[in-house]
Amino acid sequence: MEKLKRNMIVLRGQDNGRKSVFSLPGLFRWNRLIALLGAIAVLLFFVYPILKLVLLSFQGEQGLTLSHYNELLQQERFWSTLRNTVYIVIGSTVFSLVIGTALAWVVAYTDIRHKSALHMGIMLCFILPSYVLTLSWSSFTGSQSWLAHVLQWIHPDLAPWSMYSMGGIVFVMGIHHFPLVYMFTLDVLRKIPRDLEWAARAGGASRIEVFRRITLPLALPGLTAGGLLVFLASLDNFGIPAFLGTPVNISVLSTLIYEEIIGFGPSAFARGASLSVLLGAAAVVGSLLQWILLRKSHASDTMQPDLTPRYDLGRMRKPLAFTIWAGLALITIIPLSSMISMSLKRAYGLGLTRANMTLDNYRYILFENERVWQAIQNSLVLSLVTMLACLIIGSGFAYIRVRKPNQFNKMAELATAVPYTLPGIVFALSMILVWMEPVPGWNPGIYGTMTILFIAYICRFLILQIRSSVTSFMQLDASMEEAARISGAGFWRKWITVLLPLLLPGILTGGMLVFLTALTELTVSALLYSSGSQTIGVTIFSFEQAGDTLYSTALSSLIVALIAAGGVILLIAQRWATRKGVKS
Amino acid sequence: MIPFKKSLLLPLLAGMIVFSGCSAQGQATSDQGSSGGASSTVSGKLSFYTSQPEEDAGKLVKAFNDKYPDVQVSIFRSGTEEVTAKLQAERQAGKTQADVLLLADAVTFENLKKDDLLQAYKSPERSAIPTDLVDPDGMYAGTKVMATVLATNTQKVTTQPTSWQVLTLPESKDASIMPSPLYSGAAAYNIGVFSRTDGFGWDFLQETKMNGMAVIKGNGAVMKAVASGEKSYGVVVDYLVAREKSKGSPVELIYPEEGVPIITEPIGIMKEAANVPAAQAFVDFILSEEGQKLSAEIGYSPIREGVAPPEGLKGVSEMKILPGDAAKLAADRETDKQQFINVFGE
Repeated sequence: MEKLKRNMIVLRGQDNGRKSVFSLPGLFRWNRLIALLGAIAVLLFFVYPILKLVLLSFQGEQGLTLSHYNELLQQERFWSTLRNTVYIVIGSTVFSLVIGTALAWVVAYTDIRHKSALHMGIMLCFILPSYVLTLSWSSFTGSQSWLAHVLQWIHPDLAPWSMYSMGGIVFVMGIHHFPLVYMFTLDVLRKIPRDLEWAARAGGASRIEVFRRITLPLALPGLTAGGLLVFLASLDNFGIPAFLGTPVNISVLSTLIYEEIIGFGPSAFARGASLSVLLGAAAVVGSLLQWILLRKSHASDTMQPDLTPRYDLGRMRKPLAFTIWAGLALITIIPLSSMISMSLKRAYGLGLTRANMTLDNYRYILFENERVWQAIQNSLVLSLVTMLACLIIGSGFAYIRVRKPNQFNKMAELATAVPYTLPGIVFALSMILVWMEPVPGWNPGIYGTMTILFIAYICRFLILQIRSSVTSFMQLDASMEEAARISGAGFWRKWITVLLPLLLPGILTGGMLVFLTALTELTVSALLYSSGSQTIGVTIFSFEQAGDTLYSTALSSLIVALIAAGGVILLIAQRWATRKGVKS
Repeated sequence: MIPFKKSLLLPLLAGMIVFSGCSAQGQATSDQGSSGGASSTVSGKLSFYTSQPEEDAGKLVKAFNDKYPDVQVSIFRSGTEEVTAKLQAERQAGKTQADVLLLADAVTFENLKKDDLLQAYKSPERSAIPTDLVDPDGMYAGTKVMATVLATNTQKVTTQPTSWQVLTLPESKDASIMPSPLYSGAAAYNIGVFSRTDGFGWDFLQETKMNGMAVIKGNGAVMKAVASGEKSYGVVVDYLVAREKSKGSPVELIYPEEGVPIITEPIGIMKEAANVPAAQAFVDFILSEEGQKLSAEIGYSPIREGVAPPEGLKGVSEMKILPGDAAKLAADRETDKQQFINVFGE
């Protein structure tokens, strides 16, 4: 017996001896230390803020209370806001689903030309920040636009449909979010095996029947998941209802929380917190449903996407292509040009004639207003730092998550998803609550500075990087790493020469996503910014609130130009990278 | 992150500056880059929180910088109510970040004074300002006179109204707009005054609401809606209307016969100001004849005696004023805002 035990120890010792240069207890402690630090960080940055928010909503003068909720439920304003939120979210989700699914079907199954250009055109609606899209549409349908003049000319009573209405919000939100559905559905549709469809056709089913009995049931989980994604995005969206709803007294939950906090100061924190808990709960329920559905549709994950067309459009090809392109132009390019022409006007309320055209608005925002420069600088620094921090932390975590999956880092991944799952305004409020007084009686002086924005951005966007990096690592077989190690490569050598080149495209895509999202972020910064730490989104929002539409449209046009320039650089870089890849 | 404490020498020097005076009687600013005793002693960062339009605040700061080139002013602009909410939040977070405040009305400053957020500074320039428009304790001083008036779009409205009551009549059905007291200090003041004035009261506000009065965030947005013809009638501060009119927008400015509420956009220094000397120099500059002339050029009715109001605006002596009791209004501001939500919330 003794002998056996000793042998076991020897064996185990040998195992460990080969694994590392550290002594076993040392390694054990080292790992535990990292795990412990990680756990503390996750708790502090991701779990504690939410707990604090929930607690505050139940906190009364003495002990726990439901009074804040009671107060809410008795306010007519709360119920009307809730109604608006429900209508807007459902309306825009349905709208996005219809357009997104239709376009996905066309791109996935038909032999329409220029698919990649079409893909880009569809994505444009989503790449543009929601407030830019909103400003475009409000200038396009304003009483001063050429559209209004054309309608007037047709019939004196005709006027464009006002965007400052429920319908307008639903519409703009719908066109902003449909690319989400499109992306999601495209993949789902491509993975539906065509032999099933063929089999049904051979069995004498009509096209309609095939769609109803084969395609639709198979696509449904993916579709619903895409719908839920849009549902979450609509709950989260603050820009569109803030620009279009607030002026006409239509508030949704996200704007109501903002108004409470901004208009009433700390006295309203408890009210804002209870509203946030309700909004956050809706978002969490949505996410859970989505997660369940996705697990269901994972069955098709092993399928290879099938990229060859299944439907020959024949004579319909040209008209259909024309309709789609015209539609895309109508929802983005034309309103955008309308926004740009608005930014060239001398005074609001004048028609755009040669005499009224001026570059004064651009001169003002670029050369006479230092805050705009400061904002552009802040946003750039913020998004760069956020991107780098997320790249390092997110990829490091993703590596551990993929190579040594366990219950602990699964929980950590869930925790990091919380700030992004929660609507931005809810997350921002929880950030204020935590960083004002992390420990009772201690103020780190972080609130009201750039630091809180750094913390908030990194916490919110980290999950985007983790997801991209996890996907990258998943695609990389562990055997690559082993091969490198067996061939005698050390830690650095292994990473620099073997792993990084393989991983970089995926990881950098995540980084770019973080950078772009952070650059034009509005919701979180609207609550957290202060003098000297304003961001681009906040500056545009402030101009618009103050009625300086000429400046807000000018700055938005500049941002669009920036994004376009970035896109072109990215394309060139990709071309260059693929060519290089081919060479080697 | 923690602003370092200035030595105690600076406040003393600042005192000297104050007495050296900044009378720029008609002279062009000759201090540019000069090492004149006054301007060279004031330097560093100055954080300026205001509810003025960005452009106007920018012009003030630029003129101030011509005089004091060594001060870097950072501006935070939002509606008065948002600025005060922000200050309260900053105070909870441990330290207020602002040095100087210029917000809509005395009521706001009364509340800040009550919360002990301000410090006293009796600028020598106060001698030329009517005593009822400055705080006797020196916590704040008015910087201009601003009436809230009726603006109409001349393309939509042919017979100009003479009374506030037009907002409850069929001719303005769904065609009038006002700023929100939850955002704009001027609007919060107006609600306070109207709801306590005989012949108006909450009933009047309720009726305007029933008549389809739209509420938008700030005065600038109200002006925009009227100028573009989206709305025909607007409740808005006077200088914006005069300015748009002079630019060629189809708008008209009306002082209704019942009278107009006026605010003074006071300026005050925060108790926790990090840069007191620069803050005091800034206050002096805004109240000085030079600052007041600049303010009139920008389009505001000046508060200082002996500076003429701009074209198209009445001076304080020519207006019929709807009075408001600042102390009473200050005590009731939050309840007024809540009441407003109850009336206009849906």
